[in-house]
Amino acid sequence: MRVTFCTDLDKSVVVANCEKRGWIQVGPEDDWNIYWAGTQTCRSLFSVDSGYRMHDNQLINHFPNHYEISRKDLLVKNIKRYRRDLEKEGNMLAERGDSKYLHLDFIPVTFVLPADYNMFVEEYRKAPQSTWIMKPCGRSQGSGIFLINKLSKLKRWSRESKGPFQQQLTRESYVISKYIDNPLLIGGKKFDLRLYVLVTSFRPLKAYQFRMGFCRFCTVKYDSSVAELDNMYVHLTNVSVQKHGGEYNSLHGGKLSVQNLRLHLESTRGKQVTEKLFDQISWLIIHSLKAVAPVIATDRHCFECYGYDIIIDNKLKPWLIEVNASPSLTSTTANDRILKHKLMDNIFSIIVPPSGMPDVRWNKIPSQEALGDFQLLIDEDLIHLHEGEGSNYLKQNRWK
Amino acid sequence: MFQKLVSTPSVKYEDFKDSLLKAMKDNGLDASLRNNVYHWMKTKKKEIGSPHDTFFRKAQIHWDKRIHKSLNSMCTELGINLAKIRTVSEREELAGKWGELSNYEVDIHKYRPVYAPKDFFEVLLNLKGPTTRNKGSPKWEFAQMPLKVKNLADLRCLYLELSRGEQILGVNSSLFSSRQYSALEAERMILGDKVLIKNYAPMAQEFLKKGCPNSLRAKIWTLILGAEVKPYHYGYFESLKDSVLQYDLMIDKLIIKDINLTASNDDQYFVFEDVLYQVLLCFSRDGEILKDLSTQPGFMQVVIKGKQSNTENNIIFPPSGVIPFHGFTMYAAPFCYLYDDPVQLYFVFRTFYIRYFHRLHRVCGNPQGVVSLCLQYEKMLQCFEPGLWHHFRKCQIHPVRVVIKWIMRAFSGHLPPEQLLNLWDLILAYDSLEIIPLLAVDILVFRKDNLLKVNTLQNIEAVLADLSSISVIPLLQMSLLKE
Repeated sequence: MRVTFCTDLDKSVVVANCEKRGWIQVGPEDDWNIYWAGTQTCRSLFSVDSGYRMHDNQLINHFPNHYEISRKDLLVKNIKRYRRDLEKEGNMLAERGDSKYLHLDFIPVTFVLPADYNMFVEEYRKAPQSTWIMKPCGRSQGSGIFLINKLSKLKRWSRESKGPFQQQLTRESYVISKYIDNPLLIGGKKFDLRLYVLVTSFRPLKAYQFRMGFCRFCTVKYDSSVAELDNMYVHLTNVSVQKHGGEYNSLHGGKLSVQNLRLHLESTRGKQVTEKLFDQISWLIIHSLKAVAPVIATDRHCFECYGYDIIIDNKLKPWLIEVNASPSLTSTTANDRILKHKLMDNIFSIIVPPSGMPDVRWNKIPSQEALGDFQLLIDEDLIHLHEGEGSNYLKQNRWK
Repeated sequence: MFQKLVSTPSVKYEDFKDSLLKAMKDNGLDASLRNNVYHWMKTKKKEIGSPHDTFFRKAQIHWDKRIHKSLNSMCTELGINLAKIRTVSEREELAGKWGELSNYEVDIHKYRPVYAPKDFFEVLLNLKGPTTRNKGSPKWEFAQMPLKVKNLADLRCLYLELSRGEQILGVNSSLFSSRQYSALEAERMILGDKVLIKNYAPMAQEFLKKGCPNSLRAKIWTLILGAEVKPYHYGYFESLKDSVLQYDLMIDKLIIKDINLTASNDDQYFVFEDVLYQVLLCFSRDGEILKDLSTQPGFMQVVIKGKQSNTENNIIFPPSGVIPFHGFTMYAAPFCYLYDDPVQLYFVFRTFYIRYFHRLHRVCGNPQGVVSLCLQYEKMLQCFEPGLWHHFRKCQIHPVRVVIKWIMRAFSGHLPPEQLLNLWDLILAYDSLEIIPLLAVDILVFRKDNLLKVNTLQNIEAVLADLSSISVIPLLQMSLLKE
């Protein structure tokens, strides 16, 4: 029995990896075993009206309500709720100091507009000189983002986009976050990190972090002055934005590997602080997943590969910016292609059980070999199997 | 510093020698003094002469003349001067852009590198040996060079720690379990910290033989090279910058062009582009380099445009005496991973260049020179992989041609940065470039099967293009381990 696959995206990294396993491509109406679907398809497949029932040998690459993690406002809402719940139970993780969460302070102060407008103004007034970043909740690729450093600018924006203030915001909700105006710079330029995280289950949580990732650099030197507040080439690291800049180089695409970043940081800043940084990154990934785990619809047919966007500030503290449920599989450079190819290859070897045929009844504990370049972040199954012994459990509580 | 120490109460007249020595130790001055002697000896080390020095010297002078001629014709062709003084506005523009020279607008598209490794290779190939050749020997073998090079047995003696199979800290390949690797790394960290506290260069050099944790490398290299920057170094670097701002040398365009062709397009180094402009432009103005280079490059003397020829207006072009070739930028690029401070970076790079890299692009008979390294590579390949040797010959491809870029660049830009730094650790630790031809042979042997399947230079280069999977230390150990 040959494994069949279906894909909405005509991406070579998907098709080539399936074909090299001897899988046969079929259409969405046929009996597929693996479906690499777009979010639209998933929405209809999972909707109650479709009446579509997946059988035991079918796997699909999205969770039904992944927007709980991929929409900027819902991610923030879920993380805030998670922290409050931990605090209520008196869990050490939610320990506070100086009004900040000591161990779970990994998102910048954020409010959803228009709902939290008044809370935002209260916070804004505490530091009226600071810069804030406005992002539409449901868009991607840097679209619709702008910076403000004066409350009046926000009011002006709402006035300019015709219609009364409230009405405008309810049409498309926004999040407004404290802008990280002290990003770590290399060669004077701002960058963010793109890391890939595969989740094969939320309850129990099973997550894997891909070892290879990259930094996306702005093509223009960082300048936090007011004059450059509107220059998206200085502030937004999205490739889709930088691609149009005059300085864009398509040979390297502004992408530096995470390995090279780590080498540079270790060599110039030392091993301890670098290790702490990367530990904190894994820590924030785990907790962001734990935050949404209670609300994600558990469906054994689902797995998902997230693109985590993280910014490191100049004190070497990582900040979670957002999580993408459909990270781009387009390759901008040769090395990019190699990375994404390996990524898909490893994803398939993790989600498919040793038998070679997708099967939801499998225990979803892949072998060390199957992980490839992924490393295990957390597997709650294993923690329960080895009570308190599991290295992941230790990892969670290691740094304080 | 010593005078001050002598006048302190800790140094007693009655027990002058011992109390002075103790006071020096207590102040860390003894290490400083020992380091100074060590570094002085390294720089004053006499060039190892060979009976054929004159021959090589003549060849180098001839090549230098060709380069100078080429520069002159490029200038004539483009209608520019070799050297002129910048106008005030030009100076201001350059000074304003000093922090981001990648945005400095200058039209370089008509400029071409003066020469590339393959051109230099032709020069080496055409070196008619000082001794007469037998009629029967093939036209193009380096073996005709009457230079003595180390064979594998000799290399095993030199690279003792590798050939003895000792545990070397390299990038963790799957040879070690991660726990073993972490333990080794922790051990090396503790030892390395101790070595740095002792602050004694020869000890650091010994330490480096068994590999260096990434976080200690910058300090260890600085210590071994004696390149710690003091306040006056910043002033010196400023004066080099002033020289760049004041004079417009045609070579600046070549430097900028080379950075644009190499580091700016390289996904391992593009982030460091701006620092490289500063470092390499200042390098060209540094007259101390010309003084310290043992290979005594021939240099041009040019008259500044519009001035009378006199001592003031005749300048050495370029002041460093070094004319960059295609890829020269890559000598400096890897240092960007280690040093954030451009001035510290500059002096470490400069010392490394004067001690090692300059021999990679000059014709000389020194056992560390590129001619000897090519010969060493040739002999080893012929000896240990005759199948590959004959295959190259059958395809009419010179075996050295396949690896000349690797050798001239010391693998920079070909190996990923972390592996490259491991390799350069070995150059520094054993004070020798001979590890380079050995690595070249090892890689060819490793990829032998695929190399035997192709028969054009282009396809051979394709097989060897991607070295990202090469683990330098294990590969070298494989060939150096005594059977």
